[in-house]
Amino acid sequence: MAAADSPSTALRRRDLCSRGIRLAGKMRADVVDLLDTYVEQQGLDASATVAAVEGVPLAAVERWDEQTGTQRLLENLAAYRAFRALLAQMLEEQREQLGEADAGLGRALAAVLLQVSAFAYHLEELLRLESRGVPGEEGDGPPPPPRLSLFEQKLRGLGVLRELAQWAVRSARDLRQLAKPSPATGTAPGLAESP
Amino acid sequence: DSHIQYERVGADVTMKCGSMDWDAAVTWTANGTDIDESHLNGSYLILKNVDLSQSGQYSCYEGSSWHLKYQTYLKVGTPPKEPVLMCRSNNYPKGFYCSWHLPTPTYIPNTFNISVIHGTKDMVCEKDAVPKNRCHIRYLQLFSTVKYKVTLTVTNALGKNYTAVTFDEFAIVKPDPPESVVAKPVPNNPRRLEVSWQNPSSWPDPESFPLKFFLRYRPLILDQWQHVELSDGTSHTITDAYAGKEYIIQVAAKDNDIGTWSDWSVAVHATPWTEEPKHLTTEAQITETTSTSTSSFMAPPTTKICDKGAVVGSGAVAVCWTAGLVVAAYSVLFI
Repeated sequence: MAAADSPSTALRRRDLCSRGIRLAGKMRADVVDLLDTYVEQQGLDASATVAAVEGVPLAAVERWDEQTGTQRLLENLAAYRAFRALLAQMLEEQREQLGEADAGLGRALAAVLLQVSAFAYHLEELLRLESRGVPGEEGDGPPPPPRLSLFEQKLRGLGVLRELAQWAVRSARDLRQLAKPSPATGTAPGLAESP
Repeated sequence: DSHIQYERVGADVTMKCGSMDWDAAVTWTANGTDIDESHLNGSYLILKNVDLSQSGQYSCYEGSSWHLKYQTYLKVGTPPKEPVLMCRSNNYPKGFYCSWHLPTPTYIPNTFNISVIHGTKDMVCEKDAVPKNRCHIRYLQLFSTVKYKVTLTVTNALGKNYTAVTFDEFAIVKPDPPESVVAKPVPNNPRRLEVSWQNPSSWPDPESFPLKFFLRYRPLILDQWQHVELSDGTSHTITDAYAGKEYIIQVAAKDNDIGTWSDWSVAVHATPWTEEPKHLTTEAQITETTSTSTSSFMAPPTTKICDKGAVVGSGAVAVCWTAGLVVAAYSVLFI
């Protein structure tokens, strides 16, 4: 069992969590705005149901309240790393499709990509604080997915942004759980367990 | 044998007297009262264009022996109209409830059947004992983008109807209003009111799922509300209240990130602290009571003529200081 947190570690964790919660809140607000722009500019129906797309991390989780702190951080990190790659791909596709016609959409996508990268880094900081070690990113990543039609690309983009909006809400909740002091040991719940 | 017979409002109803022949001599009663022969066709009872008041027990007796030959309970009603269904999560993230009602009564018993699907998965909505027209579901998953579809079917002896609603997890989150709202004056502060409240008790985990709040307040004499949104804490000090005016105050709550605002809390009333009225007032107080308000709203002029502290005298001869000064000034002019 890991030793109880030092006061400075507890403070740093609380600080990282509050900043992370604010980051997640801002990210969500921007993703929701981006979703509206995306739906309009890509000529999609906002109420369209998009089937789960391969490679898009689903925010949906069972027994969320039973997760340990480490599980939360690792799942979040894996998700935001995946979104970083997906958004970069969307940006690339969007530039190929439309050139300068949708510069606004491209800028909004790039801004969200930046926030996703920043949040991933923030999560890595939290993991380092717990001396958990940050999992390495897979070498070259998975093989590139088969080329999709333009319409399929747009639908996948919709799926990516919707799922990202859900993740932003989940991440804020996860960080609030992490920031809670554990009543017995004074450490964050779920983090004071053996590796 | 006793039967129950359901018929629609406006229908024509024919009742046979059991196995009695058409030309048998019978007497029909409705709730113990003999029915006039004009409603009979042979031994059949004919009720045309039935209405709700004709619900009741109908009995048929053999003419001479008065043996009871047939009895039925007639219930006049209507088939159900499309029900009204609403689902809401006031205890997020535990689960949600759905409640329903019929827009118009049917006057006969109805059975309600509810089904909930999340994607392709069937879920069970457990019916509440009280109230009867409600059921609740525990969330098995959180943060899902897959929508829920709730279908409600209502059936009675005269027909059936249904309705369905589709929603996602975040959209139906609506807390109950804040509880225990208290508003108090602040001693020695004539323009302040301290308001405090508590999270609704139905909200299970305010620490992990914090609520934000919306406060609204106005003096009773004005129609326009002032609003304040508060992202944390369960108290607020109003600092721009009109001195001496009674206020009405309400608070609403919303999850910090998702869903919609609660209904307004129960209203509370409070009046800011005022100084005890003195019999003699100084020059400074006259200036204070006649100066214009610095708030964003101007009170109607009629409410500012006589402030409490500026009244001199008692009973039927109370005179405002300001009016008194004017009178005194004119008197001096004419001496």
